Formats: sequence, structure tokens, C-alpha cells
Amino acid sequence: MSDQTDLIQGTLDLLIMRTIALEPMHGWAVAQRIQQISDELLKVQQGSLYPALHRLEHQGWITAEWGTSDANRRARFYSLTKAGKRQLETEVSKWERLSAGVNLVLKRT
Amino acid sequence: MRLWYILRSRLRSILFRDRRERDLSEELQLHLECEIERHVADGVPEHEARHQALRMFGGVEQIKEASRDARGTAAIDALARDTRHGLRRLVRDWRFTTAAVLILGLAIGANTAIFSVVNAVLFREEALADPDRLVNIYQNDRAGRPLVVTSYSAYTEIAEYTDIFAATMAGSMPNPGRYLYDGAVRDAVVEFATATYLDTLGLRPSLGRWFDETEERPGAPLVAVLGYQAWTRRFRADPSIVGRIIRIEGRPVTIVGIAPANHRGTVDIGLGTDFWLPVTAVPAVFANLAPRDASTINAPFLVKARLREGVTLAQAKAAMDVLAQRLAAEYPDQFRAEGEFAVGPGITVVASTDVRIHPQADGPFMTIASLVLVIVGLVLAIACSNLATLLLVRGAARAKEVSVRLAMGATRRQLVRHLLIESLLLSLAGGIAGCALAWWGMRALQGIDFPFRVDLTVDYRVLTFAILLSQVTGVVFGLAPALKATRVDLLTTLRDEGLQPIDHRRLTLKNALIVFQVAVSVLLLGGTSVFLQAAAAARALRVDYAVDGVAMLETDLRFAGYSEPDARRLFDELLRRIEAIPGVQSAALVRGLPMDVHGVAIVVDGGDGQKGSTLEAAAIDAAPGFFDTLRIALLHGRVFDLRDRADTPRVAVITERMARQYFGAVNAVGRRFRSANDPNSWTEVIGVVRDTGTGDFDDDVLDPIGPLFYTSYLQSGALPTTVIARTSGDAAPLVAALQRELRAVDITLPVMTAQTMAQKLEGSQAVPNVIATLFGALGSLGLALASIGLYAVVAFAVARRSREIGIRMALGARSQQVVWSIARGVAGLTGVGTGIGLVLLVLVMLVMRAGSGSADIGIGSLSVYRPTIDPVALLAIAAVTAVVGVAAAFVPGRRAARMDPLVALRHE
Repeated sequence: MSDQTDLIQGTLDLLIMRTIALEPMHGWAVAQRIQQISDELLKVQQGSLYPALHRLEHQGWITAEWGTSDANRRARFYSLTKAGKRQLETEVSKWERLSAGVNLVLKRT
Repeated sequence: MRLWYILRSRLRSILFRDRRERDLSEELQLHLECEIERHVADGVPEHEARHQALRMFGGVEQIKEASRDARGTAAIDALARDTRHGLRRLVRDWRFTTAAVLILGLAIGANTAIFSVVNAVLFREEALADPDRLVNIYQNDRAGRPLVVTSYSAYTEIAEYTDIFAATMAGSMPNPGRYLYDGAVRDAVVEFATATYLDTLGLRPSLGRWFDETEERPGAPLVAVLGYQAWTRRFRADPSIVGRIIRIEGRPVTIVGIAPANHRGTVDIGLGTDFWLPVTAVPAVFANLAPRDASTINAPFLVKARLREGVTLAQAKAAMDVLAQRLAAEYPDQFRAEGEFAVGPGITVVASTDVRIHPQADGPFMTIASLVLVIVGLVLAIACSNLATLLLVRGAARAKEVSVRLAMGATRRQLVRHLLIESLLLSLAGGIAGCALAWWGMRALQGIDFPFRVDLTVDYRVLTFAILLSQVTGVVFGLAPALKATRVDLLTTLRDEGLQPIDHRRLTLKNALIVFQVAVSVLLLGGTSVFLQAAAAARALRVDYAVDGVAMLETDLRFAGYSEPDARRLFDELLRRIEAIPGVQSAALVRGLPMDVHGVAIVVDGGDGQKGSTLEAAAIDAAPGFFDTLRIALLHGRVFDLRDRADTPRVAVITERMARQYFGAVNAVGRRFRSANDPNSWTEVIGVVRDTGTGDFDDDVLDPIGPLFYTSYLQSGALPTTVIARTSGDAAPLVAALQRELRAVDITLPVMTAQTMAQKLEGSQAVPNVIATLFGALGSLGLALASIGLYAVVAFAVARRSREIGIRMALGARSQQVVWSIARGVAGLTGVGTGIGLVLLVLVMLVMRAGSGSADIGIGSLSVYRPTIDPVALLAIAAVTAVVGVAAAFVPGRRAARMDPLVALRHE
């Protein structure tokens, strides 16, 4: 656990939206995908994943539909709405500016 | 777009809560299974994998809760949860719930019923076209205030101002009348109106038409428009009624149309007008009203006009001022009379939207209405404080539950919300019960065949009132107990100290509430006693003539198509037959009875060249034998006999009240007065008799003695309607005998009333009796509620002190001592409450006595406005509350005294 980084507040939303921007997926798959892509550095806890998904849905950024998973199970698939796509772009650029800024500060001091 | 998603998702969350919950569970379940599969794929044995996954997963419920919170529907969920929980709790404590709903239902029902009466009389508006352009026009009295009525001749002058008014109409005050239809004679409310009536108001008849100007000409065949309510209620909404002939006051009248559904009459005080007749029908139908040819003074009309486009109210006022001056110059005689009816030289114009009944009556009506609402409001206040007491007691009993929940992490806010929702649920149920009770009560009221009919319907205003009232009461009685119940000391409550510190403080919320209830009940009982006093006084005044052994029978010959000479012969025959009935000592024909008189305007001859003034008096057309039969004592002069005929000078017998008030001396024999409508009707006073209660005359139900004079129907030319007879035995069989004789004379004659005189007298006191009964009911309701509260508090205190009582009894205290210690507390509370209530009562009475100089409101001066402070009544009230207090303390006290000390000590 110690080698995994706790997610900064607010970045989870960004990661979820980025992940489902590629294709609709269900909750567990979202967590797995984030974990895989980050080389197991980022681990999403269920306790934050589902509230985040519901919050995003509630805010109108993402929408959910029942579908069938690879293992032929009924699952709730999340996908971005139009507004969500726009929101993702702003969030990404925000994040890039923030991380660039943080990196600069860390390097130059 | 996004807004749409948000709205949709929120709506779904709220509406499809169950599905959302299922979705969430299923989603989490899927996640868990995927996790397990992953572990299994990694080579972990399945049960171990499940274990690991579950451990990783953490609390499922917490995740669910957090997800729900993320949706923002948590508050609504909590509300729904609290409501369900509250409902379960109320169902479980069904005894408490039933009591509370009953208490609230009674109080809210009483309030709703009273409000719906006030609503019917004062608030209901009617749909008039462009009401802002309508004005009411009144002639002024000599002091410049608008009079109750305007004369027909003044109306015709007003109607000439066509440059100011687009349309003008006059409608009479509602008159009581009778009609014959389908073989039965019934009471009706009759109005006389001009042909312009409905057009001026901007309304359309719902069927047929309004009468036109040709039908308004004198001598035209009689026509009438039927009121919508009468049409639906009495004629079963039969459209073929238009064109048919109905006999009104004995005259054949053709129905030409049905009035609009939402129009109830010229003066809309809830009396639905049954028939509108043309103004010219007055002399044909009601002989004693003669507006068309009468002077400017005494014709009872209300005038409304519609302003022409572009004409302002100020312009209308100016034009009417000019008219007023012209009238004063042209008819100086009309403005010379003095007295109550005297017309002054002025005309008032008021926007119709600013007037409800009459500019002068609106204020007093509103005052009376608010007074009545305040009185029922007091009952509601008692019910509220009563429920607050019950909830306080219940809250204390639930202290443990509350502290457990607080200890489990519930916030105080949540608990208060929870308790408030419970009381709101209670009050909602109470409100529904109240509406049901009010509806039932009003149906019962409508079922009684009143001579007039107030249109009581539950409209949106009444419903809103009841629901708002119940919700407000819910918060009022629920908040304080909820706040108090959640302010608990966790440690001591949870440790369950059987022997709790006894609260010796005097000024607790509970005690204050009890004292308040007792005090308000005393006030209401005080009101009851005042009305009972007044009613008793009225009764004492009225029975100043002997009614025992007297029976009466009223018929109406006009409906049988008799000519006047035939009618007289028939009545003579009837009288002869009745006098021949064995046991009958005397009998007389009469028109009107002491409790059933009609008012007239008279002018009294001052005797010493003084100019006459117009005064108001009641009149009865009596006959020889009348005073003997009712045993009304003669004070001066003589009564009528057969010498007073149509061709001899007119004579009258007056009451001592009239003699003293209008002639300045009891012995007024030889003085003269005349009808205000007829300058040639001088009548000489030949006798003065003792006063009788005249009852329903005027609005003065509780001050029943007004000036009254008797004329002989042999002289006045009016037909008698009633025969009275005195027997030496019981009056009840005589009633049947009178009816038998009437049938023997002519089997087709209708029996309007056939009663013993005692019954008739009782019936004439309906109004004061109803008022006293209403007050009594409210007072007893209040007292009953207060005693329930007292009982609950005492019972609870005893339960809480059971261990203390057990110890005392184990140490040798006797049961009397235990009962006494309990009774002392109760006596204190009732004593303080009664004291405060009595002081308030006396203060209110003193204020009413001091401030009742303003009797000048045109609707009588009820003597109840000047209540006498009766120490006996006050003592009786104190005794009643004391008895109730003792009763409330007795049951729990006895239970405590009978307690087995061992059981009490082991309590809990």
C-alpha cells in the first residue's frame, strides 16, 4: 500500500472522466484501468470511486446505462456527456498548468 | 443540455428511489465479484479470495451512503425515512395517536366550520364583469353617513345621469316570502329588482332571460327570475321550470329565467335569493311595502351603477352632489323628518369593490367575525398547548430512546427534525379529521330547515385555511417539546437511575401549559355564562304573558285562491268552530304573534305642535279576544272590541315601552301616531298594555322588548293568518283539534305552523340558545382538553415517582398521605390557572362594559356587550374547574396509593 499514491482531492474526477472518454465502461473496469495505466501507482478505492461516479452523473458530466460486460454480466456503463467532454478539456488544461507549476517550483528550489 | 441531465437525474433519484437503490447494490455486487475473480485468477483459493475482496472493499453501507450523498438526495431520503419511521411509531402508539388526532380534529374542525361561515358571509367574491367600474350609491342620513337604503324615486333620478353611468340598477333588500309549488307552501327569500339589474352587474342568466322593461311596467303580468341555488336544490335543476307558473305570496308568477350560478343576491351575506321580481310587483305581492309611489324616504333599495368608460369615481361623486342639492331644493318636505330613518341631503358614492355589505356595517361585521374567530382560536390554543403537554410527557418517557440515538451519533438537529415530523404527521391527520368533522357538521347544519339558508360550501379558501392551520399547530405544539426532549443528560439517562432527581421547580414548561389551558377554559366558560345569563334574561322577559294552555295554528289563504270577503267568512267560521271545542276558554284571530312581528316606520304626533319624527316600531294585527287569550294585562284605557270597525276612527293599543319611549308617559291614551308612508293614517291610542318579548324583531335577539303596537285587523283591512286558543287543559291535544277544525272548514288549506304557544316561544329563542350552546360547547371542549392534559401530567408524574412513593410507603406513609401529596400539586396548578382565568375574565368584562358606548353600528346593541359580573357564575366556574382538577388527579393518585411498595421499589 505504501508504494501507492493517495489521489489528490479532485483528481479522481479527472482520471475517471479521462478513462471513460475512450469507451464506456463499468465501475470496476474504471478502477482497474486507472490502476493498469498508472503502472499500479494509483489505486482507486471503492469507497471513493462510487461516490465520485454518482457525483459526476449527478452533475451531468457523465451518464450511465445498463449493458452487458465482457463476462456477460449486467453492468452499469458510464460514458461522457457532451458537457462532460468540454468539462474534461478544461480540467485537463487546468491540471497541466497546475502540475507544470508544481514541477517548476519543485525543480527550481 | 447539462441542466437537462441534472434535472432528469435528480428527478429520477427522487421518483425511482427503489430502482436507484437496487442499481447501487447491483453495481457494488458486480464490483465485488469482479474483484473476487481477479484474486481467483491470481491463484488464490475462492473463499480466501472472497474474504480478501470483502476486506478490501470496506463498509458497503458507508459506500452506499456516500454515493447517495453525492447525488444530493440525502435530505429527501432522510425526510422520507423520518416520515416512515414516524408513521410506524404513531401506529404503534395508537392510543396516544387517536387521542391526539381527536383533540386536534375537534379544535381544527370547530375552527374550520366557523371560518367557513365567516367565509360564506364575508369573503366569498363573485365573478362580475369589470368590477372596478361598479359603484354603490347611497342616500345619506342627516349626519351625512350612508343610509342602509335608497328610495326608488332617488334611484330614478340617479338613473337619468346616463353621461356618467353606462347602466344603473336597483335591487331591494332580501324579503321573507312564501311560494306554493307541487302542493307545498315553502319559505323563500324574495328580492325586487329593476330590468337593468343583471346587465349592470355584467352577468348573464344561466337559463332563460332576465325580465325586461315591458314586464316592469305597472299592471304587467307578474314574472320572476329563479335563483340558481333554489333551482338546483328545490326544483332539481329542472330546465322546464322556465315558463311555468308558481304562486308567490299567493300570486301567480311566471318564471322567465334562472339567475347566474355564482350570483346570490344584491347583498351577498350568504342568504341565497330564491326569486327576483320586478320592482313594480311590490304592491301586488307585498301589500305593506310600497316603494313606487312612496315618498323619497322609506323604500328599501340598494343602487349600483356602472361608470361610463373614462368617467372617474370623483366625477361620479361630483355629479351625485349636484343631484343631492337639487333633490333637497325640490323636495324640502322629504328632508324634514327626524329619527332613525330620516334622509339627509347628501348622496354617497363608493366603489363596489370597497364594500362588502354596507359601508357602515362592514366594520362591525368584521369585528364580530374576528371576535368569533378569536374565540374558536382560543379552543385551538388549548388544543395546541394540550398536545404540547402530551408530547412533553411522551418526550420524557422517550428520554432513553433519545439518548441512545444521541450516543449512537445522531445529531440533535436530526432528532429534532425527526420529532417535528412526527408532530406534523399528527397535525396533518388532525387537520384531515377536522375537515371531515367540519364537513359533517355543516351537512348537519344544512339539514336543519332554517327559515333562511346560508350557503356553506367548502371552497379552496376553507381548505387552505384548515391545512395551514393544522401545519402551523403542528410546529407550534411540536417544537418546544422536541427541543426539550433532545436536551438530555446522556450519562444519567443511560445509566438509568431509577430514582431521578425530582423536579421541584414550579415554573416548568409543563406547568405553564397546564395553567394556560385552565385559564383559557375559564375564559370560555365565562363567555358561556354571559350568554346563558342573557338568554335567561331574554326568556324571563318574554314569558311575561301566559303561554301555558295556548295553542296556535297559522294558515295562508292567499294560496287557496279566496277572495277577501270569502276569506273573512271562512275565518269567522273557523273561529266559531274553535270556540265550540270543549275546554276552549277563549280564541282569537290575529296576524303576527308577540315573537313574530313585522317592523314599520311611524310618525308620532308631538301633540303640542311639535313636528313629527320618523320612528321604528313593531306591529301586530290583533283582534278582540287576543289580549284575553294571551293574558296580557291592560294598564290604561281599553282594548279592541267589536265597536272598532273599518268605518270608525283608527285606534291602536300600545305597549308600555312604546308609551314611555315615544310618548314620554305610560298613560298615552288619547295620543296619536301614523304610518310614515301614509299622511292620512292617524291612529289614536286607546289602551296601554304590559310589554311582551317581541323576540325576533330587529337584530336585537337578546334585548327582546322593543316598541310595539297592536291594531285591529277589522280596521286595517289585513287578513288574519293565525288563530290562537286557550284551553283549561293541556295545549298539545288542542293543536290537533285546531288542525282538525281547519280541515273541516276547507281541506285544501295549508297548515303553515301548528304548535303549542310554549313550543312557538321556545323556537323564537333559537338564536340566543344556539349562541349559548355554541359557547357552552366550546367552553366544555376546552375544559375537557385541559383536564386530559392535567390527567396526563399527573399520571406521568406518578409513574416517575413510583419508586419514591414505594420507599415512602415502605417507611410507613399511609395511602392518604400519598394521595394528598399528589393532589396538592394538582390543586396548585388548577388554582393558579383558575385565578388567572377569572382575573382575565373580569378584566375582559370590564373592558366590554366600558367600551360599549359605540352601539351606533346599525345592527342592534346586544346586551351581551355589557355583561354583568355575576359572582355566582364566577364561583360556579371555579367549582367546575376544581371538580375537573380533582377528577384528573384522583385516578393516578389512587393507583399510586394502591401500589405494592415491593413492586414499586423493584420498578425498572
